[in-house]
Amino acid sequence: MISSSAAAPAVAIVVNSSTPLWYITRATGLVALVLLTASMALGLLASVRYASRGWPRFVTAGLHRNASVLACAFTCVHIITTLADSFVPIRLQDVVIPFISAYRPVWLGLGAIAFDLMLALTVTSLIRTRLSYRIWRLVHWAAYLCWPIAVLHGLGTGSDTPVRWVLLLTLGCVAVVAGLLGWRLACGWPSHPAARLMGALALLLALIAGGAWLTAGPLHPGWARRAGTPPSLLGGPSAAAPGSGGAR
Amino acid sequence: MSHRLRVNPITCQAHGVCAELFPERITMDPWGYPLIAPQPVPDELLGHARRAVAACPTLALLLDRLD
Amino acid sequence: MSVTGPPAKGGQALPPRQLPRLLQPGAPLPLAGHVSRYGPVPFRRSGAELIAEVRRAGLAGRGGAGFPAGRKMHAVAAATAGRKPGLLHTARGSVVVANGVESEPASSKDKMLLGRSPHLVLDGIALAAAAVGASRAYLCLHDGHPGLTSLLRAAVTERERAGVNRVPIQVTEVPGGYVASQETALISFLNGGPQRPAFVPPRPFERGVHGRPTLVQNVETLAHLALIARYGAAWFRGLGVPQSAGSALITVSGAVCEPSVLEIELGTRIGDLIERAGGPAEPPQAVLAGGYFGGWLPYPAALNVRMTDAGLRGAGAALGPGVLVLLPASACGLAETARTIWYLASQSAGQCGPCLNGLPALATAFDEVAFARPGRDTQGWARQLLALVAGRGACHLPDGTAALAASALRVFGHDLRRHAASGPCPRAWRAPVLPEPVLPEPGGQDPTP
Repeated sequence: MISSSAAAPAVAIVVNSSTPLWYITRATGLVALVLLTASMALGLLASVRYASRGWPRFVTAGLHRNASVLACAFTCVHIITTLADSFVPIRLQDVVIPFISAYRPVWLGLGAIAFDLMLALTVTSLIRTRLSYRIWRLVHWAAYLCWPIAVLHGLGTGSDTPVRWVLLLTLGCVAVVAGLLGWRLACGWPSHPAARLMGALALLLALIAGGAWLTAGPLHPGWARRAGTPPSLLGGPSAAAPGSGGAR
Repeated sequence: MSHRLRVNPITCQAHGVCAELFPERITMDPWGYPLIAPQPVPDELLGHARRAVAACPTLALLLDRLD
Repeated sequence: MSVTGPPAKGGQALPPRQLPRLLQPGAPLPLAGHVSRYGPVPFRRSGAELIAEVRRAGLAGRGGAGFPAGRKMHAVAAATAGRKPGLLHTARGSVVVANGVESEPASSKDKMLLGRSPHLVLDGIALAAAAVGASRAYLCLHDGHPGLTSLLRAAVTERERAGVNRVPIQVTEVPGGYVASQETALISFLNGGPQRPAFVPPRPFERGVHGRPTLVQNVETLAHLALIARYGAAWFRGLGVPQSAGSALITVSGAVCEPSVLEIELGTRIGDLIERAGGPAEPPQAVLAGGYFGGWLPYPAALNVRMTDAGLRGAGAALGPGVLVLLPASACGLAETARTIWYLASQSAGQCGPCLNGLPALATAFDEVAFARPGRDTQGWARQLLALVAGRGACHLPDGTAALAASALRVFGHDLRRHAASGPCPRAWRAPVLPEPVLPEPGGQDPTP
């Protein structure tokens, strides 16, 4: 059922697509984010060599692998449903080539980058035994890029960002990864104290900058237009309260 | 047919996953590095050996066929 | 005695049972003099011919491992022949690396050889290169002896001008360091990487410098090769014993009257060697045979041990790169060993956990054994460490150190019991007999005459 604002311009009703595809895209996007966070968290846990009586190291290794594969699967569904949903002007090339889409180019583009990185990470990990360890490890460092880009993509493109539980979920994911990153910086590389300090500072700065951007950006009214939603998909001044299905 | 298990000591970073997954043949020294029993791996334990090799985070564990 | 086998064309005869072979007396000969004494380089029609001759001669590597040179050359030649030019490697030739770095602190025979008979070594490189199908060669020298390096560079230039070298020989200076002259470490350095041992396989004869099959050979081995090519395998085997044929250069130092480098027939008794070095300068206690990867031999049993691989191994030591250090009774064998273990631990490349952790732990335990009152626990822990480190590194540093430590605990067992009962002996603080590495001072000892 599509409600349009054609009849009464003064009535601020936003345009949205209520096909199941749109809901599935949003849902799978969130689940993929949670799984990607789990994968990052488990990867960081492996790097600090965490182990306990009831949690041997192979559990971390195995769960990391499973979470990564599931994150990939959910990301693929997320992408396919977005493409299949004809309401939004997103084409196949927008999936892998960043910043060329008609819909929120910058923020969708970040999703394309994150997906490309995920592909690199997954493929190299699947053929690990045929690659040199050094190359695999080099590519795997891209995980540190992939995850934050995915988070920014979700916050910038996602129409559910202002929704309280979605926001809390995303912030929760950030907290988990930031905390583990802090742990890793505290434990690792004992012979490079300067680099660790710089890393910790960079982490802190990133969190502050991220928080500032979030407040001034997606959480500030009018984000949809500023983010680059095509005008045809925008309604008039949005009267939609958070939780009503989302302004586009 | 039996197999021989060995480790690349340069790549090994003492993650210890191998000793957890194949305790029949791998124990750890006081610093966390693997001590591999010298006997060949019989066929009935091969599955565990393969799993340990695949699980090593640095791919330092190696399984050679002895023929 | 007459010379058997192909006589050196245009050179002087070298009777088979006569010494010296490698170290002729006098100043190093320039190229012309070298050719008139030994004849020109006898390149063969096929590399397989020379390799077969070397195998018949039973020449073993003189760098420490004692691997049969002929077998190594055969492996490299076979690997080279099997290579087809492809996308990644257009050049087909293999590489010869002559190892003259000699980072064993108690050894100076390679420097002596390079300084006295440079052209013999260079002949050997040229012959080996021809035999294994090499397209280039490197002569690696320790970077702490600039005089020696210039001498060798001048000799190479002399040969190039005379058109003797068929294959370019590059003289390369290499930082010293105990594991730095291990064959895979050298190859890694020549490839522009870190000078640290690599994991094998692939072994150098399969993939070495620039991915090509590489023959790494000690300079003394190559000098012997140059003589075998001229005088034949039977001539070479005229000296020595069947399992350890030929002659070898041995560095004798420590408490002897005339520390020197001697060329001996393999199979000579250690007692005779010590006499040739002037005899003991002080009442002797033991002999370290084989360098820092060798072992201790107690007096007077050491006197009758024969300088062969089998003889020394049977006695609990090793031939190694031909090193003998005489320990006087005024020194403490455990203290000397403890200091050496610290040196060896400091030389770890730091790549393998068991070595990086185990050797300092062993050194700490030996500190207590030598300089304090070692309890039962310390002794037990030291023995446990020996088993924990041996064979678990990428190179033989942990094994060699463990072997040295084990032989010290065995040979100086009476000292160990005495230390455990009543503390260390004052002999432990005598001036060290075994050399620890000392950075060369400017204008320091250069063995070039």
